[in-house]
Amino acid sequence: MREMSIWFFSGVLFLVYGILIVAAGTYEFFHPLLHPPVLNHLHASIWWGAAMAVAGLVYTIRFWPQRKP
Amino acid sequence: MIQLASLLALFQVSAPRASLVRLNGVDIAVIAIYFAIVVFIGFYLKGISNTGEDFFMAGREMTAWIAGLSFVSANLGSLELMGWAGSAYQYGILAAHWYWIGAIPAMLFLGIIMMPFYYISKVNSVPGYLNLRYGPATRGLSGITFAFMTVLMSGINMYAMALVMKVVLGWDLNFSIWLSTATVALYVILGGLRSAIFNEVLQFLLIWAGALLVPILGLIEVGGWGKLKTQIIHNMGNAHYVHLWQGLGSFSTNSMGVNWIGMVFGLGLVISFGYWTTDFLVVQRVLSAHNLRSARMAPIIGAGFKMCIPFFVILPGLLAISVLPFHLVPQSVAVATGQHSYNEVLPLMLVRYCGPGLLGLGVTALIAGFMSGMAGNVSAFSTVWTYDIYGAFINKKASDEHYVKMGRWSMFVGVLISVGTAYLVQHAASIMDYVQSLFSFFIAPLFGTVILGMLWKRATKAGGFWGLLAGTCTAIGLWEWVRLDPTALRYVALSPNAKAMAQDLYRALWSWLVCVIVTVIISYCTQPRPEAELDGLVYGATKLPEEHDEHWYQRPIVWAGVIAAVFVVINIYFW
Repeated sequence: MREMSIWFFSGVLFLVYGILIVAAGTYEFFHPLLHPPVLNHLHASIWWGAAMAVAGLVYTIRFWPQRKP
Repeated sequence: MIQLASLLALFQVSAPRASLVRLNGVDIAVIAIYFAIVVFIGFYLKGISNTGEDFFMAGREMTAWIAGLSFVSANLGSLELMGWAGSAYQYGILAAHWYWIGAIPAMLFLGIIMMPFYYISKVNSVPGYLNLRYGPATRGLSGITFAFMTVLMSGINMYAMALVMKVVLGWDLNFSIWLSTATVALYVILGGLRSAIFNEVLQFLLIWAGALLVPILGLIEVGGWGKLKTQIIHNMGNAHYVHLWQGLGSFSTNSMGVNWIGMVFGLGLVISFGYWTTDFLVVQRVLSAHNLRSARMAPIIGAGFKMCIPFFVILPGLLAISVLPFHLVPQSVAVATGQHSYNEVLPLMLVRYCGPGLLGLGVTALIAGFMSGMAGNVSAFSTVWTYDIYGAFINKKASDEHYVKMGRWSMFVGVLISVGTAYLVQHAASIMDYVQSLFSFFIAPLFGTVILGMLWKRATKAGGFWGLLAGTCTAIGLWEWVRLDPTALRYVALSPNAKAMAQDLYRALWSWLVCVIVTVIISYCTQPRPEAELDGLVYGATKLPEEHDEHWYQRPIVWAGVIAAVFVVINIYFW
């Protein structure tokens, strides 16, 4: 059985969330919101989501489940 | 922590109002993914949670980082985050004391001084330690009160979540209660403490990811800390809102109505040490560490992160004073006028800065905080019930398998009692205050009992039991006195200018002092235990295992020193 660490779960969750948030931010970039949040011109969704996705990807790869010896 | 009592009640909303937050499809997907992954974790961990050690102590194989994050996360409930953000709006930076002097020294003390005794005695719980040190009577008193209060707290947490979801998202109360119950029950009953710890770590990371953006964007909007301070002083007309200690010279020179004696000794010494070193809900996380070094490092790592939390809890409250175009008001005024209350500051700031996706992440962080709070309470209840009540007094010779089965059933029953409590509180909100006050009664004297037991060989069984009982009765007596006659607060807190917050601090201080004095007097009047019996339990009678770290920077004391130095610098900077 392959053992999954909490860091792997965290990595997967952050990767999925990061992708979703970047996608939402990109869509919103091309289709501006009717009532945008404050500082929307900084496009926090895109860079914050990208940072989450990168962190998630690193943790997913680094803690990919290994077979128990 | 203990402050929750008054904060919870403030979320009562009598008049229906539009929800604060409107979620779109991406936000809903973010929330749904979180629920899916925690349930998956529960099923995954079921296969490796079959022995008592696995189920109740997570196999004692957690690393220092996991135990440390779980340790600090067990206290990082959403209601606490929202409540303290509201307090920061109301009282200014004074609210940060609950994260700094109200936590850091105690966490370091746990790691450096107390952890070796908890760990090498191989107890499963804090009442378990009391049994070895003071005997079954003290264990019974502590175990029963803890189990009872913990499961009730879980129900209050559940109700609070439902209430906040109603106010913030417009969700139905029953839907929130049963959705959270089903999810928490599933993953905790399946995976035990390991499952609770996994979810606490996830919750911790989610809170950072979901809430950290608010202070970053907020500081960009106001133009930095210097400008924020100027604006707060201008808006509030009082410089004490941005100073930690300057206004604590007397009760009347700060908005909380407390003074430095209450803050340093009541909060910093008694409440903080009581909570962080003897409340089994948090100590259980550290006991799950895989060796003594990790068990000592876990609270130190936790302290490092705890010190940063005001950045995304207190700072948003302060930023709101500057950037919100309207004033927040006390809940009583909000109910009457339809304005927003102090406690809504965190969701309001989330809505201010977060677009689709990020908003879902922030809301998920709040939901995760509530659910892991429930799971933490239920798992701690199950351990204390199974080992310290059922195993100690009802069925002493059952098999390990039987105790695991009992642990699962007790979790199930615990969750059901929590649901019952949630509905009870819904119809009688004042119960919430009573239950949480009751919970606070045991923490302060328990610290007196445990610390004397660990550091003083002369403390006897009778001294420990009667000291704990006397301290608890003192706390209850003082609380009841002020409840019946609110003017008595001037005697409890030693000042006519004292406010409600001062009562909590001074009540804890008096009850701890009574516990210590009674324990010392009765111990001197009774026969001490032979020193040989105290091996592994008391400082001076125990040969602590030597730790051999390869490098100086691997030593817990070095990191505790670093954290302590940063703690001092922060307090001086924000003086």
